[in-house]
Amino acid sequence: MKIVALLAAAVLCASLAGGASAKRASGITIFAGSSMTTVLPQLDADNTYSFGSSTTLGTQITNGAPADVLMSANTTVPAALYAAGVVEKPVNYTRNTLAVVVPKSNPAGIKSIYDLTKSGVKIAVAASSVPVGSYTVQVLNQMGINPAVQANVVTKETSDANVVAKVALGQVDAGFVYLSDYVIDPTHLTLIKVPAWAQPKITYALAIVTKSPNQAAAQAWVKKVLSPAGQAIFVKNGFLPLANAVPTIAKVSPATAKAGATVTVTGTNLRGTTSVTIQGAPARFRVVGAALKVTVPPRAKSGVITVTNPSGTASKPFRVG
Amino acid sequence: MSAPITRGRLLSRGAKGGATLLVAGSALGAFADTAAAALPSGDLAFARLLVGAELLAEDFYTTAIAAANAKPAVTSYLKRALANEKEHYTSVAQIVTGAGATPAVAGDIDFTYPAGTFATARSIVKFARQLETTILGAYLGAIDGITTDSLKAGLARIAANEAQHLGYFSAAAGGKAFTLSFPQELTVDQASNALDAFTA
Repeated sequence: MKIVALLAAAVLCASLAGGASAKRASGITIFAGSSMTTVLPQLDADNTYSFGSSTTLGTQITNGAPADVLMSANTTVPAALYAAGVVEKPVNYTRNTLAVVVPKSNPAGIKSIYDLTKSGVKIAVAASSVPVGSYTVQVLNQMGINPAVQANVVTKETSDANVVAKVALGQVDAGFVYLSDYVIDPTHLTLIKVPAWAQPKITYALAIVTKSPNQAAAQAWVKKVLSPAGQAIFVKNGFLPLANAVPTIAKVSPATAKAGATVTVTGTNLRGTTSVTIQGAPARFRVVGAALKVTVPPRAKSGVITVTNPSGTASKPFRVG
Repeated sequence: MSAPITRGRLLSRGAKGGATLLVAGSALGAFADTAAAALPSGDLAFARLLVGAELLAEDFYTTAIAAANAKPAVTSYLKRALANEKEHYTSVAQIVTGAGATPAVAGDIDFTYPAGTFATARSIVKFARQLETTILGAYLGAIDGITTDSLKAGLARIAANEAQHLGYFSAAAGGKAFTLSFPQELTVDQASNALDAFTA
């Protein structure tokens, strides 16, 4: 029934003209891009959320809407508001990727993004005035297929949620959305990858509203969003971890191993690992999915296993023997 | 190590009679920028794709070397191939930069490999053969598909080097170093779809 909730949210967002699928609660008031509709209540159900187009929400805050925090689906809206003194300095809080979704039945037989250039395919996109719409245009331009795909666009929606709804209902053959939109409810959709080489950098930024009367609570919320637990919720919902975030080690398995053995290191932000050492001895490693496979080096001594990426290090006790 | 092929060199080598761009460096750069600004979107898309392909190659060879499962002789070729791919990246990235766009860099793309890819020397060279087949096909497709003639010669030189990689790793994987008189070229969508198999 997730799709029903999604459709309801989409309709509500549309009917309130990009501003206010609001949920009243006792916490702070957060204005957030519509791609946050499912994920933010998982972080805290007691806030008041208003989901919609980041651009529209930014305008509303500028005009005095009573928000404590803006959580945009891009970096440009918070940056513009910061320059105008409307919000405090923005902070990046997650990333996303663009994706194409088609109905499960896939009546147009779409297997690749290039199939969207074929005559007769009906495509839904978000308007270029909202982040997901501008990212769509960017990708298509980078792939050199923008004119051919635009010729098949039959509707320009006000949000990614509306695009998902159109595709799920089979009103169009395909739509451009965020990967997180697909992860929320893959039941009615089939994912078509947008090539990694053409992906735009989709970074989300948040900022505390300067005039917010709840500064302390807003700062606590930001801390919660950026915490490992908060980031894990974003990742669970199809978002990407912040680039070059500091690694963390949750577990080393087995915790004791002999030289030459392979151990598995799990945690967060391990994909960008640049080195692994065991009590100072460099160890061979490879990234497998989100984990590391580490070979215990000869003459390694018990102590700590340390993982390093460009942003920092993480260590965990490890015994050789 | 040879000097990387810059976009200017790519253009100059392709210019008719080689005379058009036999001018001072600064003038050459200006011409390159002017030409780049007019680069057709399809050509720029090919350049972006090749940037992605080179990043994949760099990532694969770096990981394969770090895995240290290959024999010393093979490892030496892995290192040589990595050095080549880095120079290729610099060259194709400059086509994108010259067009006023930003090329992807390491870290922009998360690559993924089939289980066991780096487990043994054999699995490494088998994957290298598959990878180089795709990359060679992508370059051959680009040479055929792009409309900016002045870029073709430089891309052909890179393709020749990728063919050398393919020949070596084909033999190392237990096959013949070369077989086809006319290796398969890939259209931009075929190459893109092939590369997608290696991205997270």
